[in-house]
Amino acid sequence: MAFRRTGGRDIFIMKRKAILTISFSILFLFLASVAFGQVQTRFRVIRASNVGTGVDPSLRDVHEQLGSLFSFTSYRLLTDETLHLSPHQPASISAREGQIIIETTLEGMHGRGVAELRIRVGREGRNILNTQVRLSPGRTVLIGGPKLREGVIIYAISSIF
Amino acid sequence: MRGSCSSISQLLERYFDREAGDGERALVESHLPDCPDCREKLMLLEGLRETIKAPVDEAFKEETFPWVWEKIERKIRTERRPSWRESVRSWLDLSPLLRKKVWVPAVAAILVLFFITAQIFLKKIPFHPGASVVEYVESETHNVMVYDLEKAKATVIWLFEEPEEETFSS
Repeated sequence: MAFRRTGGRDIFIMKRKAILTISFSILFLFLASVAFGQVQTRFRVIRASNVGTGVDPSLRDVHEQLGSLFSFTSYRLLTDETLHLSPHQPASISAREGQIIIETTLEGMHGRGVAELRIRVGREGRNILNTQVRLSPGRTVLIGGPKLREGVIIYAISSIF
Repeated sequence: MRGSCSSISQLLERYFDREAGDGERALVESHLPDCPDCREKLMLLEGLRETIKAPVDEAFKEETFPWVWEKIERKIRTERRPSWRESVRSWLDLSPLLRKKVWVPAVAAILVLFFITAQIFLKKIPFHPGASVVEYVESETHNVMVYDLEKAKATVIWLFEEPEEETFSS
């Protein structure tokens, strides 16, 4: 009688542990999938103008690209943000007191760490650009053109893996 | 009414087992002093009970029930409450699961769930190495220029607010 009771308690404990183990595993897998599916993307908002000279020290890594592409004499970093993009979850940053909004959505991943990003640029409530780009490690996508005071605004987007 | 011997003898067993009612008991007790046969039957029943009772009592004394109860009581007294560390260790101890085969379907279920969630969260898009960085670009308000710089690993999407604007270096 006593032996049978101990066996029943063992089965109860085992069931309890099995349920707990499976629950924690599901939770872990869910969180791991979400974390693994995220892409860190660096957004830098740059004001380029011909007023003054010089490049912001924090833009040294993109200075060569900027200097070879544009004829501006001054580059100033306005915002430097790193966004953790989750699949199909739009994230946005704004500039020029919120008048220009850039909204980015991670559409999916290619092989070799290439992220597929859908980018929408809005200005004063209107869409001025819709694009979809493949962002590979080490590559920078520069979106520029909207005027900002004496110069223009440039978004430098790069992914961090 | 003292009753006939045959009817009383039918009541004797009930009387002996103390199952007879008040009327039946009074009837038997009024009959017994005058009937030696019924008294003898009653004495036989008593003798039979004594015969059975003695070995049963003896066997009961020799039984181990008191010893079993003492053991249980001693176990209850000596069993202490586990500390919280022991409780946590007991909860985290997966050896009972590993001893049984219940982990086989559990692991299978976890693997299936992993593949399902991986498909949802890690949607793979076919990769074409030679394809352009920009999949598509559209603007209803601006002229757009796309320029790939393979050496600098940069792609420029430029919005022209004024067609005559000269921004790029020559």
